[in-house]
Amino acid sequence: MRSRRILQILFFRMHNIRDHIPFSALSLCYGVVGVLLVSYIGLIAVVMSYAAFTVEFSQSVKNDEAAVAVLEGQYLAGVAHLTNIDYAALGYAKPVQKVFVREESVTALR
Amino acid sequence: MRAQFRSRIRLVLLFIILIALAVFTRLYFIQIVHGDDYSQKADRQFAAGGSGLFDRGAIYFTRKDGTLISAATLATGFLVAINPQTLSDPEAAYAALSTVAPDALSHDAFLAAAAKKNQVYIEVVHHLSDTNGQILAKKEIPGMQILRERWRYYPGGTLASQSIGIVTYGSGDLLAGRTGLEATYDDALSRSGDSLYKNFFAELFSNVGNLLVAAKDAREGDVITSIEPEVQTRLQDDLAKVSQKYSSKESGGIIMDPATGAILAIATYPSYDGNNLQNVEGTALGNPLVEHIHEFGSIMKPLTMTAALDAGVITPQTTYNDTGCITVNKAKICNWDLKARGVIPMQQIIVQSLNVGASWVATELGQDTFRSYFTKLFGAKTGIDLPNEGRSLLGNLSKPQQVGYDTASFGQGIAETPIQMIRALGAIANGGVMVTPHIARAVRLDSGIERTLDWGQTVPVFSPEAARETTAMMTAVVDEKLQNGQAKIPTMSVAAKTGTAQLTDGRGGYYTDRFFHSFTGFFPSYSPRFIILLYTNDPQGVTYASDTLGTTFLDLTHFLIDYYAVPPDRGIATSSAVTP
Repeated sequence: MRSRRILQILFFRMHNIRDHIPFSALSLCYGVVGVLLVSYIGLIAVVMSYAAFTVEFSQSVKNDEAAVAVLEGQYLAGVAHLTNIDYAALGYAKPVQKVFVREESVTALR
Repeated sequence: MRAQFRSRIRLVLLFIILIALAVFTRLYFIQIVHGDDYSQKADRQFAAGGSGLFDRGAIYFTRKDGTLISAATLATGFLVAINPQTLSDPEAAYAALSTVAPDALSHDAFLAAAAKKNQVYIEVVHHLSDTNGQILAKKEIPGMQILRERWRYYPGGTLASQSIGIVTYGSGDLLAGRTGLEATYDDALSRSGDSLYKNFFAELFSNVGNLLVAAKDAREGDVITSIEPEVQTRLQDDLAKVSQKYSSKESGGIIMDPATGAILAIATYPSYDGNNLQNVEGTALGNPLVEHIHEFGSIMKPLTMTAALDAGVITPQTTYNDTGCITVNKAKICNWDLKARGVIPMQQIIVQSLNVGASWVATELGQDTFRSYFTKLFGAKTGIDLPNEGRSLLGNLSKPQQVGYDTASFGQGIAETPIQMIRALGAIANGGVMVTPHIARAVRLDSGIERTLDWGQTVPVFSPEAARETTAMMTAVVDEKLQNGQAKIPTMSVAAKTGTAQLTDGRGGYYTDRFFHSFTGFFPSYSPRFIILLYTNDPQGVTYASDTLGTTFLDLTHFLIDYYAVPPDRGIATSSAVTP
């Protein structure tokens, strides 16, 4: 007797809820399916874009590294060129005197 | 109200469906309608097949301010391949190719490749620059593919090339490091090459263990060396000048921090350019500084002296009677000028480089003690991070004849690698403790974490007092003897020693007119930051190392003092101005 009462209350409440939903369950399912479909397609697009972007970005990084390597090559060639310079042949002479001063703090130089 | 809401929902649904249709349509056009075009475009831009592009970690030099400069990196460009079966007009194709790469391939070679109609893929030009590759790709020549390519590139060319090493195919079809650091750190530098092209989700679910443990990420990275590019350039330049001036067979040098074993420069001449190995013989690819052994001559005397001081058999004040020549086991041992000095103190053995004096010290030391010290100094490999390290020849120290010990005391009859020699001499500079020489100081993992390599293993050989007493003797060499005292630097104590050894004739004897010159030194003498070892093998028309390498050593010393702004350690206590 008591259980029947409980079922009646539950059914009554569900019935009330059904009365308050402004659209059918079928429409809800359509909506959910639509959202899932778009999400799925969107996910595929995101994954494909991610893969393409990763490859492109990696290639871009490698290209930049290669460009930096060319600049580093120029720097090292510059160092070699400077090392090879015969300063005496260019008219420079060794300093006749070197003066050493004690290192002071930056503030002391103000 | 309810009908109005329902119509809104339908409107939203319609909108979503339209978007979905638009995406579908776009995908249809991309994949089905224009699929072939995109596929061909991709073929022109990226490497074909599953081989992927070559990838490998970098090796870096470290400037004095900590800036990393690539010693070995990757260059990016294009390769040109042809399909002889679809290449309809080889002459036009070659004309187009020669406009961007005129010297890359001869006309005959191209036509010969194009004539191989039974093949579908022949690579005709490699290492085409980015710009030229793109120009050629735009011409869309039928039967010609312009494919992405990456290759190992050494920005410094010959700079430390024998220590950096090379990457080649070897006997198999796998590109790997074969010499130098490329071989030693091949595990860290190699790349699996699969990370970019895997399906993200497949990778996520099929390789969960790797993602969690990341064993690969803990191994793969870039190698950071302690080689300073400007110091390395200076050393190579100086060695080239010495070799060319004296027509030496080979010259070499190492500059090292004696306290840590970090190598700042390591070079030999002749060398090679790792970017162009076409005319390089296989034997030239090794590193003579760690693989070849030499009898170094008198730069061994400081080690003999330190051993005797450490053992307590002599003191700096001990004297002996120098007779100019002695006979030991029927062999005659003489000073370099055959002259007797009379009764003189120990320091003169180092300052005047006296063979008779070194022999006297070896005799005082005794065979067992002498062998014990020299086995500790040279009996084992140094552990440097370069492949194929050689072992010393100490056979004479296993025999009972005293002459073997006497000659060893001044660096003849026993042979060591240059890296063993600088490590042993470094013990004098480093308070009697030998360190492990090394080139790589850290591995920078792909995660960005810098893993510092542990080179902390040390071998105590001498007491600090013995090392200091020998240092004082070596400092006197520069202050009093080198260039008749003109080499003295008033504001910097420099310890040095020359070495001139007779070359073996291959028949158990020695040439009387062919020499191996060596030179070592460190500074500031009593708190050294640098130790230098130089040698030149078989220089022509000159007898003594002070003539061939003295100027080079001083040039490097002055350069290092200026470049690193090494503060003066003497000569400015009472006056602020000095005249060199």
